[in-house]
Amino acid sequence: MSLTINTTINGKSVSASAEPSTSLLDFLRDTLEFKGTKLCCNTGECGACSIIYNGKPINSCVTLAADANGAEITTIEGVADGDKLHPVQQAFIDTGAVQCGYCTPGYIISVKALLDRTTKPTAEDIEEAVSGNICRCTGYTKIVDAIQLAADRMAGRV
Amino acid sequence: MDYFEPKTVGEAVSLLAKYGAEAKIIAGGTDMLVDMKYKEEPGCLINIKKIPGLSSIQENGGSLRIGALTTIRDVETNALVRDKLTVLWESSHQFASLQIRNTATIGGNICRASPSGETLAPLLVLEAKGKYVSADGEKTEPFSSLFQGPGKTSLGSKGLLTAIDVPYPAAGSKSVYLKHAVRGAMDIAMVGVAVLVTPDATKNNIQDVRIGLGAVAPTPIRATKTEALLRGIPLSTALIKEAAAMAATESSPIDDQRSSAENRRWIVDALIRRGLTQTWKAATGKEVA
Amino acid sequence: MAKAEYTVLGTSPARMGGVERVIGAGIYGIDFALKDELHGGILRSQYAHARIISIDTSEAKKIPGVHAVVTAADAPDVRYGRTSIDRYMLAKNKVRYMGDPVAAVAADSPAIVKQALKKIKVVYEPLPVVIDQEEAMKLDAPTLHEDMPLPKNLPADVKVKNVCSFTAVHVGDPDKAMAEADIVVDEVYETKMIHPQYLEPRIAAARVEPDGRITVWANAQAPFAVRTDVARLIGVALNKVRIISTELGGGFGGKASGITSGAAIEPICALLAVKAKRPVMIVLDKAEETISTTIRSGAKMYINTGVKKDGTIVARQGKVVYDAGAYSGFGAMAGARCTNMLGGWYLMPNCHIDGYVVYTNKQVCGPVRGPGGPQAAFAVESHMDSIAAKLGMDPIEFRLKNTPKPGDKIVGVPKLRDVSLGETIKTAAEKIGWGKVKLEKNQGIGIATGSWIESAGPGGGAVVKVNEDGSVTVHIGKIDMGTAPRFGIPLIAAEELGVPVSDVTVVNVDTDASPWDAGTVGSRAIIVSGTATRLAAIDARNQIFKMAASQLEASPDDLEIKDKQIRVRGTPSKSVPLATIATAAHNIIGEVIGRGYCDNVAMMAEEKARGSSQPFTAHACIVEVSPDTGNVKILKYVAVHDIGFPIHLASVEGQIEGATAMSIGQALCEQVVFDNNGRTMNPSFVDYLMPTINMMPRIETTLVHGYPGAGPYGAKGAGEIACVPPMAAIANAICNATGVRITKLPLSPENVLRGLKEAGKA
Repeated sequence: MSLTINTTINGKSVSASAEPSTSLLDFLRDTLEFKGTKLCCNTGECGACSIIYNGKPINSCVTLAADANGAEITTIEGVADGDKLHPVQQAFIDTGAVQCGYCTPGYIISVKALLDRTTKPTAEDIEEAVSGNICRCTGYTKIVDAIQLAADRMAGRV
Repeated sequence: MDYFEPKTVGEAVSLLAKYGAEAKIIAGGTDMLVDMKYKEEPGCLINIKKIPGLSSIQENGGSLRIGALTTIRDVETNALVRDKLTVLWESSHQFASLQIRNTATIGGNICRASPSGETLAPLLVLEAKGKYVSADGEKTEPFSSLFQGPGKTSLGSKGLLTAIDVPYPAAGSKSVYLKHAVRGAMDIAMVGVAVLVTPDATKNNIQDVRIGLGAVAPTPIRATKTEALLRGIPLSTALIKEAAAMAATESSPIDDQRSSAENRRWIVDALIRRGLTQTWKAATGKEVA
Repeated sequence: MAKAEYTVLGTSPARMGGVERVIGAGIYGIDFALKDELHGGILRSQYAHARIISIDTSEAKKIPGVHAVVTAADAPDVRYGRTSIDRYMLAKNKVRYMGDPVAAVAADSPAIVKQALKKIKVVYEPLPVVIDQEEAMKLDAPTLHEDMPLPKNLPADVKVKNVCSFTAVHVGDPDKAMAEADIVVDEVYETKMIHPQYLEPRIAAARVEPDGRITVWANAQAPFAVRTDVARLIGVALNKVRIISTELGGGFGGKASGITSGAAIEPICALLAVKAKRPVMIVLDKAEETISTTIRSGAKMYINTGVKKDGTIVARQGKVVYDAGAYSGFGAMAGARCTNMLGGWYLMPNCHIDGYVVYTNKQVCGPVRGPGGPQAAFAVESHMDSIAAKLGMDPIEFRLKNTPKPGDKIVGVPKLRDVSLGETIKTAAEKIGWGKVKLEKNQGIGIATGSWIESAGPGGGAVVKVNEDGSVTVHIGKIDMGTAPRFGIPLIAAEELGVPVSDVTVVNVDTDASPWDAGTVGSRAIIVSGTATRLAAIDARNQIFKMAASQLEASPDDLEIKDKQIRVRGTPSKSVPLATIATAAHNIIGEVIGRGYCDNVAMMAEEKARGSSQPFTAHACIVEVSPDTGNVKILKYVAVHDIGFPIHLASVEGQIEGATAMSIGQALCEQVVFDNNGRTMNPSFVDYLMPTINMMPRIETTLVHGYPGAGPYGAKGAGEIACVPPMAAIANAICNATGVRITKLPLSPENVLRGLKEAGKA
């Protein structure tokens, strides 16, 4: 019993079908071939599947594909401006916050959502924004550096 | 699996009446999707997010009406919730992750009826009422009788929660939600304690106290014996100690992979002490003698 | 800033492969897909210990969309293992843990796979289960491996069962020395099973090629080991198997050790592809990983040390009971390391430690980040504080008193070369504010040290090709999971060949084309591949100079390459572009191809002759304990390391920070929990708790310099050693804060609170 999903992903209209039980994550990765959003815990506990949904960061693995209907979605593929990396992406590279990189797309989505809200995030703001994103490689220290650097650059402080 | 996106409450209720226990409602999906992937798909999935009018927060006399589809994030960022219903605000603020809060709904948290559900002990303490609709019409159920067991509410399989009414506590009240976890908000609470204290006009005695306990019984519970012990008398260190011990005996926790029952009782004791001390100080400006 | 003598070494350029990762390119194993592929899935044992009476796959095979169903009967009667060859890729006759693969299915969709797995009828005869490794050693314990002999080196008077490996450490005469000690401290420490929990699930994809060869794509750390075992286990010649690596989303040793770690999903996938006559891909679920792939073992450690009143250690006795799990896996090696390290890395004139590695009905020990080390250090470094307390001595003074000097021996190491231990301790003390910082109520300060032997293990090679435009392609046998291959290795090639780092490509591993390597394991990427790449680049450079010499009318010895220009040293006007010579090579030698390798035999001989160049470390932290709930918050954390020479500085720091965080996780919140039937109770991330950013302190890394290692330019490996001290550092700080010594991990709120209550402090 297939549903037709009409949605906007990274500014482009997309129409595709999905089974009702399909998660938005599987819809993005397997049906639409957007491999940037990552599959990890599949239970909403790690943030690797984070996307922006109607302006808010959510876990796509615990969201129905059906709920993409009529929604505006930004995935990691839509963060850069063509060939120009977003400041958050560049900061992650520059501070060495990318080791294996598997958590990175989820982090960039969460951090972009944060810095779109404020470019002067407090420690509490940062904690709130990314406590739901697990990284197993970095121990978080360089990720915090990347967030500060991106914020400073976006605010013109450096 | 059959799938529906009803456009009205009536439509949803008819579907529930038709499918009964075969049907599962999905709101945000943060619990439901996990069940579907790792337990089993229901015979019928009813996605209620297309029903309008279920996600607003509105003042209604001396209470706040919160639509069942209001996201936890919307609860968290609402000024009225923060100012008037502190204990509910605190639980929504310690609820999983930001990503989860952006889609999880308060109705979903309530109807999932997990003993450790973050908003449940606070709503018990606030003496909220659930408004729900079934084939028999619209009903109101106080939270004190809403939770029947782990995963079970009095709504059964045929009722659709549409809103909750949360009365503002009496003037001068202060409340707190304390969550015991290893890591923080991300964890499922090992113990959740909600405390609301209303001092009398002299600010010497406890006029009213309400204590909600999560994750230490088959449902979230009110520690009624402990409340009775405390009402009407001055708060003292000795009384807090006694109350904390009593609250621990009112809980009936289990051993599970998160904690032993013994530890949960210790934590109830510890968090009651903290909760009473903090709320009393906030309400009266006084340290407990 | 690079050291004065280097152009790029010691700096932190952007990671090769960084852009793909920040834009979300589909480069990982899990992003991979083969045209026409079937989905594969594995049926796992429902019992932790049982005989398999029968397996009936007939119903499953009938389901439309099912293309193959395999059991042990479909594979050769061949087992695998590192030390004991004790395991079938699909269980035969017995299952020994819940998670043991029993059968596998290839079908059109994941839903059909799920359906088919349910229809496979396995009749089990359940057997008694043993979870605890000490229980498993008892003579009345259930026998897990009827045909595996006890270790030959087990003393004749030791009557045990289920022991797959035994190590004994003997130094001097500990019985005599202990009797003469002024103070003896006798303790028992225990660590629990943790899972490496790399974020990217394990995959394998297999395809039978038109010529009959089998290609397997895997996100494995050791592709060549995978090739060996796939060939053996499905019964084809080695050169008929090709392993192509995808990028890895983490590994930490849990994707290493060939097929041991993945519990054979590569050969199972290959077998399915052969039987189904179509490509097959298996993707594990994270919860499935927790119950089936390799783990860091728990260890029970008895440690008993005698000291003189002045703090001199005179003797140690001990016993390690190391949990191998259902099969030997990496258990023998990890257990041996733990046993040796229980002797510590301080002066130890007399020592006797027995180490038993024991089968239990649980997940299998893998080479998880510093295998055996963190467990031993939890015991050793907590114990050092206990001894210091009994002596009334400052824990730092006690450690410094027993710190070896160059030329000294320690347990397991006949001679040390340089010893940075003292400097790391003093630096950590200074950075944490030891003796200076004002601690509030319920706060405590702790220190712990560590070491890690890296210069032992197989070697590996490198091939460096200089392309016609002067760019450089490097082939090594190690994969990239965020470690040296795409951080330090490109810098080495760039440095030696005088090209910009951005002109260097390090290619991922293809066993048909890459030089053989043991894999990205053992903190050896910079040591092995770094040495090999350096030598290969120098070899290439020598070929270039030979060809350029006549054109530049100079001797090859007078040439240098800078910024892709080959010049006569001292006469920069006499130069020719690197690209010109690289192109000219086509007609002379075909191509500039440099070859290098890490001669491990020579390296180990040098380590023996000159002394071990192993790194040392000291970590220190300040914690705050909530005495009513047991919650522990780390307020400040410093990690001081000697990494020889850090070739890519940010990468070295990143490895230290990440390894520290992993052990902070083991300290505070991680463990695999079992019920009495051997069922894992917390397989998913809901209840397998990994550290989140809010509970992690800033990890302040300091490197000490001047202790060159066995790696290129004096480098030492950085991947694992920071895992060694954190658990003890935190336990020591908790003890300092509360007066309570907690000897069992994790230092969870419940365990801390229980410790406080038992001591009457809460």
